Amino acid sequence: MTQSLIVTILILTIVKAVPIIYAALGGVISERSGVINIGLEGMMVAGAFTAVLVSYVTGSPILGLIAGVIAGAVIGWVLGIAATKFKVDQIVAGIGINLLCTGAAAYGVVLVFVQTGVNGQVPQLGGVNVALFDLHSGALAVLVFAFVCALGLSWLIYKTPWGLRVQACGENPLAVKSAGLDPLQTRLIAVTISGALAGLGGAFLSIGELNSYTDGMTAGRGFIALAAVIFGRWTPFGATGAAIFFSFFEALEYALQGQISWLPSDAMQALPYVAALVALAGVIGKVRAPAADGVPF
Amino acid sequence: MRGIRKAYPGVVAVNGVDLDLFPGEIHALVGENGAGKSTLSNIAFGEVRADAGTIKANGTVGLVHQHFELVGRLRVWQNIVLGREPRKGIRIDEAAARKLVTDLAAKNGLEIDPDAFVEDLPIGVQQRVELLRELEREPTVLLLDEPTAALAPAEIDSFFKTITALAARGTAIMIVTHKLQEVIAYSHRISVMRHGEIVAKLDTYSTSVDDIARAMVGGELPPVAAREPTTMTPCLRIDNVTAGSGGARADGVTLEVRGGEIVGIAGVEGNGQTAIADAIAKMIDYTGNIVLDSRPAIVPQDRHREALVLSWSIVDNAVLGRQHDPGIQKGLLLDGARARADAEAIKERFDVRCASLDVAVKTLSGGNQQKIVVGRALIDDPKFVLAYNPTRGIDVGAAALVQSRLMQARNAGAAILLISFELDEILTLADRILVMYRGKVVGNFERAQVDRGEIGRLMAGSAA
Amino acid sequence: MKPVLKIFNGPIGTLLLVVVMMSIVMLGSKVSPVDGFYALIVGTLGGTREIAESLAQTTALLFPALGICLAFRAGLFNIGAEGQLLLGGLAAGALGAHFVGPGWLAILIMLGGGLLGGGLWGALAGWMKSRFNANEVISTLMLNYVAFNIANYLVAGPLKSPLATGAETAPLPTSSWLPALIPDTRLTIALLIAIAIAFILQFVFTRTVFGYDLRALGEAPEAARRNGVNIKRLTWLAMALSGGIAGLGGVAIVAGELHRFNTSLSPGYGFTAIAVALVGDLQPLWICLAAFGFGVLEAGGVAMQASAGIPKETIHIIEGIIILVLAARRYVAAPVEVPAA
Repeated sequence: MTQSLIVTILILTIVKAVPIIYAALGGVISERSGVINIGLEGMMVAGAFTAVLVSYVTGSPILGLIAGVIAGAVIGWVLGIAATKFKVDQIVAGIGINLLCTGAAAYGVVLVFVQTGVNGQVPQLGGVNVALFDLHSGALAVLVFAFVCALGLSWLIYKTPWGLRVQACGENPLAVKSAGLDPLQTRLIAVTISGALAGLGGAFLSIGELNSYTDGMTAGRGFIALAAVIFGRWTPFGATGAAIFFSFFEALEYALQGQISWLPSDAMQALPYVAALVALAGVIGKVRAPAADGVPF
Repeated sequence: MRGIRKAYPGVVAVNGVDLDLFPGEIHALVGENGAGKSTLSNIAFGEVRADAGTIKANGTVGLVHQHFELVGRLRVWQNIVLGREPRKGIRIDEAAARKLVTDLAAKNGLEIDPDAFVEDLPIGVQQRVELLRELEREPTVLLLDEPTAALAPAEIDSFFKTITALAARGTAIMIVTHKLQEVIAYSHRISVMRHGEIVAKLDTYSTSVDDIARAMVGGELPPVAAREPTTMTPCLRIDNVTAGSGGARADGVTLEVRGGEIVGIAGVEGNGQTAIADAIAKMIDYTGNIVLDSRPAIVPQDRHREALVLSWSIVDNAVLGRQHDPGIQKGLLLDGARARADAEAIKERFDVRCASLDVAVKTLSGGNQQKIVVGRALIDDPKFVLAYNPTRGIDVGAAALVQSRLMQARNAGAAILLISFELDEILTLADRILVMYRGKVVGNFERAQVDRGEIGRLMAGSAA
Repeated sequence: MKPVLKIFNGPIGTLLLVVVMMSIVMLGSKVSPVDGFYALIVGTLGGTREIAESLAQTTALLFPALGICLAFRAGLFNIGAEGQLLLGGLAAGALGAHFVGPGWLAILIMLGGGLLGGGLWGALAGWMKSRFNANEVISTLMLNYVAFNIANYLVAGPLKSPLATGAETAPLPTSSWLPALIPDTRLTIALLIAIAIAFILQFVFTRTVFGYDLRALGEAPEAARRNGVNIKRLTWLAMALSGGIAGLGGVAIVAGELHRFNTSLSPGYGFTAIAVALVGDLQPLWICLAAFGFGVLEAGGVAMQASAGIPKETIHIIEGIIILVLAARRYVAAPVEVPAA
């Protein structure tokens, strides 16, 4: 293997990992507060689509990025309301969110881009253009920022009063209530933050890594992020590591496309999913989910 | 509290209650399950809003819950400061929080490691954490809901020492409990609740356990069926069984239960009883030998989670656990007529009060639910019955009926292993009493030579 | 809940919501809702052909919805019906294209293959759950993608028809096509098979010991475990059956509509079917009715795309909202439980 190939794989791993890292961090904060977030995929879609839309309309990728984060947060808030106020089954609500977001984005694409004859090309987020491979420092900066986010989340959960409440909510919301606090509000905020992070991940996917939104572009990354949350044992850095691990396989597939003749490309494409499946099965007995994860209060 | 009233759909839980608490007094609130004690204390704490009535309190009210509302995977100090964290900027000032906890514990004469994880602590110490959390708020009124339910006799003594000292410093304390011995030993005044009303206000120095019990039930206690002589034949033999993990494991337990006797296992919760029960039920792995020639009929400890499908009808629940038996499974089909007949039989024998056999069991009272669980276990005249806290949390009438049916099964030749955290229940029913402490059998008494004090000491782990 | 909102608390509310959402979608595409709904109704129920097409869509949804119903009733969130359906169709397409013999036998073999293909995929998730305690929501979702890769590889390579330009299997001989219920339409006897399965499931749930164990597992897993239910076995068995029934949906499409297999045979039936199963309250017979409702929507979506250029995926918006509203309604409609005093 040549040195340039290794560098390519590394850069690709970073680029592929970043959206999943953000979504996985979102999954961590949500699940630590006791809400299973199956809707991460939908929140990524919302972020990805909105980011493209706003970048396209305003010409500013930064505004697009912010809009993507907001869109994710709104969807997260919807799931939070469903999970707290209406005590909807969290998995069912997440499925609903996913269908809603993919449908809305598909509709939006037709409405805005196809009907007006524009194919959705937008200005890119500065510094990262994968196709060129010449911005190593850019890719690194993005990764560093993702790590800073993981660090920030870790600090939020373990060092601040609010983080303590989030942890308590995920373990025993009754304890939070008897301390005179509102666990439902804590959960709602956590799920909204979760949506914002997933939206950021989606935005990075559509206007960072690529420069357009296409239906199905999230391709299950929200679900891989969920697997990363479990594999990373519900900790910010664990989830980040797991996201990088899964993305390595995706990068492998891109980098080696057509280079290994005996291995069909479909097998390569299935790799990240298979890796997530194996990881999911392999964590048996070693992890414990937050005790009240998925339990309405 | 004046004229407190609270109704839920179908029941009036609290109906026109007046209650005064004075600084420095320990006031016991007693009553049967369902009498309205918990609702009243939740209203006093402000957790539940009353439909009518007024509450006046000088200062704040603290509540120590029966099921501790702690977070097992957080540290002691984190549990105690939750919601009132000392801050340094926007982060928690951990040093200040630890010092706060240590000072608080010292002030109340309690020993605690602020950095321990709550889930690693014994039940008695966990309660200390819960108590400290409330004391941190310096309440003028402290409500304690069944505070000694999970404590060993020795822990109960030290617990009340703390409480008495607290009262001496001017805190008004209300204890909700059903343990009348403790009421007599430690309280100053007693209020008895029945059907949502206070039916008696007593001064502790001028009353007795029997008086309180009569006031609670509204008459004499229903009697338990008489013990008859039986011929005892070998049935269950447990040889050097080790099962479970952590502090609650069973460690080399050997015991025998013969047909025609009730063997009671006394002990404080969490001393290996669950591991033994689960090993007999083949729910967990174990080492050693369990010899039993028939399938055990089991009354599990948690009827909601382990025994019943709450959303199902009485009919469907009547055959749960026996659905694969030849008389009930016909080919691929479940014999619905048989299930209904069994449900009918249980209803008759156990006086299950229900509108119809097709109502969901979640709509029934705890007592009626438990009657179904016990009735189902006894319906096929089993050779061996494992009953784990068979009367926990149910009213006195239902409890007496359940105990009577167990006694009758024994009289008819069944071998019964009774595990109970209520020593009184074991003393009432058992022919032989074993005491478990830290996973081992530490005492063995024939009914004729029972020494209540000695059993209490063994339960707390002190050698004879 | 305010009394004013109570009218939303029922099938009428759901229907109203669908109408409002679709109106918004139509207005967004600059189509008058009056014209839109007229086109929708005429396009789905206006004539024999249109009704047949709606029922064909009903069929494609009913199989995976019934499979999902079985898993959900056992407390297993099988979100993998899409992949199970795909592999069921793949098995049918591969077997049907190469089988030489009488048509009825080919159909039986395809049905068996579909059951097995989808069933194995479901069983895999079930096994992972019972053996490794792997969360079935995530595993079935992942397996959807893997199923697509497997199918894509096979039809682009080993199973590719030498005559076809695209990636698809060789066409089925006409003798092994599923007989049409209405000539020259895509409505086949598969609809009757699906309805028969619904009745069988209803019988299994209410009358058999297997159904009893299954419901116990779904409603109270710990009580089930302690009362003679073999949870590990039931978990993979329920997932296998669930996947198998979803797989039959693939057979219905391959042998009844496309008469060959390609990977784009499902526009997301496996996901829409989740909404169908939930709207049908996990009751097999109600699910038949719900499937018809969604079948009309799906057929209408195709019609809307053709006439107004509205992508048919927008139907997912409506499905998503229905799922959210229905799940919320369950909570609102549930009686207040009396707390233990």
